[in-house]
Amino acid sequence: MVIKAVWIIVLPIIAFIIGVFFLGLSRKVIARIHRRYGPPIYQPVIDLIKLMNQKSISHGRLFDMGVILSLAGSIVLVLFIPFGGIAPLSGSGDFLVVLYLMLLAPLGVALSGGEGANPNISIGISRKMMLSLGYEVPLLFSILAVMTYYKTTSLVEITKAQQHLSWGVIYLPLPAIAYFMILPAMLGIRPFDIVSAPQEISSGPSVEYGGRYLALMTVEHAFHTFIVLALFVDLFLGGGNPFTFFVKMLVVFLLGLFIHAVFPRFRIDQAIKYCWKWPSILALAGLVIAYVVA
Amino acid sequence: MQLITILIVAFLGAGIVYLIGKISGKARDILAVLASLIVVILVSLAYNQKIYTSFYPLPFLNLSLTLRIDPLSWFFAIAVAGIGFLSILFSLEYMKHYQKLDFYYSMMLFVNAGMLGVVLSADFLSLYIFWEIMSWSTYLLISYKGGKAVGAGLKYIVMSTVGSIAMLFAIVSLYTSYGTLEFSSLASLLQTASSGYILFLLIMFIIGFGIKNAIWPLHTWLPDAHAEAVSPFSAVLSGILVRIGIYGFVLVMYSIVGLNLLHKLGYGLLNFNYILCWIGAISIIIGTFIALLQDDDKRLLAWHAIGQGGYMILGISFGTTLGIAGGIFHTLNHCIYIALLFLVTGAVEYRTGGVRDLNQLGGLIKKMPVTFIGGLIGISGLIGIPLTNGFVSKWLIYKTLIMEKHPFLAFVALIGTWGTILSVYKFLHNIFLGQLPEKYKDVKEVPWAMRLPMIILTSVIILFGILPGIPLNVISGIERSFGIKPLSTIIFGMPREIGELNIINILAAIVVAGVFIYLIFSLSTRSRRVNQYDNYAAGSFIPKDKYQYSVRFYDPVYRIIGPYLRDVVDDFYYWLVEKSKSFFQGVRQIYTGNVNTYALYILLFLAFLIITKIGWGLW
Repeated sequence: MVIKAVWIIVLPIIAFIIGVFFLGLSRKVIARIHRRYGPPIYQPVIDLIKLMNQKSISHGRLFDMGVILSLAGSIVLVLFIPFGGIAPLSGSGDFLVVLYLMLLAPLGVALSGGEGANPNISIGISRKMMLSLGYEVPLLFSILAVMTYYKTTSLVEITKAQQHLSWGVIYLPLPAIAYFMILPAMLGIRPFDIVSAPQEISSGPSVEYGGRYLALMTVEHAFHTFIVLALFVDLFLGGGNPFTFFVKMLVVFLLGLFIHAVFPRFRIDQAIKYCWKWPSILALAGLVIAYVVA
Repeated sequence: MQLITILIVAFLGAGIVYLIGKISGKARDILAVLASLIVVILVSLAYNQKIYTSFYPLPFLNLSLTLRIDPLSWFFAIAVAGIGFLSILFSLEYMKHYQKLDFYYSMMLFVNAGMLGVVLSADFLSLYIFWEIMSWSTYLLISYKGGKAVGAGLKYIVMSTVGSIAMLFAIVSLYTSYGTLEFSSLASLLQTASSGYILFLLIMFIIGFGIKNAIWPLHTWLPDAHAEAVSPFSAVLSGILVRIGIYGFVLVMYSIVGLNLLHKLGYGLLNFNYILCWIGAISIIIGTFIALLQDDDKRLLAWHAIGQGGYMILGISFGTTLGIAGGIFHTLNHCIYIALLFLVTGAVEYRTGGVRDLNQLGGLIKKMPVTFIGGLIGISGLIGIPLTNGFVSKWLIYKTLIMEKHPFLAFVALIGTWGTILSVYKFLHNIFLGQLPEKYKDVKEVPWAMRLPMIILTSVIILFGILPGIPLNVISGIERSFGIKPLSTIIFGMPREIGELNIINILAAIVVAGVFIYLIFSLSTRSRRVNQYDNYAAGSFIPKDKYQYSVRFYDPVYRIIGPYLRDVVDDFYYWLVEKSKSFFQGVRQIYTGNVNTYALYILLFLAFLIITKIGWGLW
């Protein structure tokens, strides 16, 4: 009980550190691929401290609450997803709960942005909604393939079944590839940075955010990165202890970056068509196989 | 006696309200509210009772009209009474500017009384009688506004009649086969019936109840009817009246036919439940994705009513403990949040002069905060965000689908939810968020008589979302009465043997995280409040009243999926109408209106008779 309580406090902190580290790392790595020097890895931390002390504007109560809801949703999610076998709240919610809790963060941003009454925000949110409809199709196929194959809706059970190198990726290669292909869409990085698209719609949903709002959104982004990668490791790479878990996350993240950093940005309709084509076909094939085998 | 009192109060209330209305409008309003409130109280007093009364022995057919209350009928009766009361309360202000109010209130009470009669009947004859009372008063209410509404009403009543006839067909056949129409005796008599006969009965009842429940492909009356009815009645119509169809399904499938017989229906993969599941699944896809294309707020909700009906069918058609519980619970949840959402659109219409077009609204959050919260909680329930009621019932349905190894159905159900998010966010954004048009800058929050029903429904959504054990307890009572293994529940969610769901921990986690972030948020540098025109647009200025980016909000998606999302069934029905029109035109040619021609017909007919007679004689 006490250990659980300690983990409930410690796990979000770990997730925060890892998430922020990934943010810094991605800027550095992309810069090096572009043959620039890039900012130091701890740059996001400097930014956060700076942003917290900067002035900002607010468009109303919902504008504030949406941001808070968004971050709170992401932090709560960390407690449900096993991190190296540690998932303090996994007994209170299974994978279906996780799927639904994943809605809180984008919903919070959408509500908050909606009150901002800025055209760029509306365009950004509309793109975010469409993009998520796009990647949810392959994502749901691959998640259902995993749940069907392991005959459970519990994430803990799924990771438990993958010990001793019997990783999900070996038995379910197609869903794993599909998930990997939509990873950048879920993370909102290239070539799927349509939602923020600084050059077109001035960072989209976060155009009205400054100071503490931007800081909270950055933290949310860090948590989100952690969650998406942790889910991948839990579903397909067999979990592991906290250290190996972190290494696996790092490898997946870097691979994703290397492959996708060289692509230019998709248009939204291209992105949707992409998501509904190859990843969906692969994931569906994977689901059919899992259905037959299981 | 108690049941008869409920119905007498309900029906007499409807009649008296009409008469009193002729004398005083105020007295009529008070009486209408009182009558519906008394019904709520009477029904809630009947909780956990098992009553069976025969109230009128028919002088012919050797039948008597009977009433009963059991967990299933109580569950639906309380929903009928509750939604009826709240929408009448809402009507007090909303309907002020309409004509023929005596008729309106009287019909509202009539519809409620009819629905109560349907759910309390203990035999098919009383059910059919009340069913017709309900259908016809619904027709009158849908076409109440005149104009386009008359067309919508006609479409409804034509389809509804088809359903009633199918049902009557089944009822007559039951009577001729078994000589009784009482549910309890039929339940035991049918156990020996052949599978073919059961299938026939089920199909007939599914047509009857399915038209009311608007399952694909019998759904086409619903969008027009929902959009054209006055908003408080839309709440009743979509919330509970349509769901009487689900009551019918559950009643026929589990209370009368029973699980044993249902499992026998089918050859191999192709069994009855499975086909029903896929009908539900198609309803989900059609409903939620066509909703995405709508620009009329009530029409958007109406398509969701079709889509969510699919979830209920999916749940109940499995026949497992979890599935039935999920389906019935979703019926209740849907009834609450969709009624709330229709009241919200009603409130918006009331303050903006009847605007339903999503492209002309915006920014009302600052003017109508209570209505906004109603809308927000309503759509959260519709999506099934955790901590709202829709979540638990959807969780039960998904869990069933995955555990019963139907991942493809589960996919349909889940992707339906993601389609829902898109369209309901558009609903909320276009009404309440974004820029407030200048013409609405003097809009005020709605009066208390309209706020109160919305607040009550909002709190119930949250209450059932956090304490799902309360309604689920009643639902396990229903399952016990069917002889199915009842769902074991705990107040905050599910016991461990069913699955990991404990709402209170989720709530605590979200609250603690939220408060923690709020503290950090308030401790950092304060922000300045700005008005809606003070925002960043890359140096250019944002013109007043030109900001409506919600027009074709999801354009790229429309362009991809739009061509596939035509309501083919509706087109087919219209094609059928056109073709039959020309056929009947042809038939009409027979009747020339000339007496000589008719004389010729008679002569020819006689000649035909004589010839056949002679012909027979020759053989």
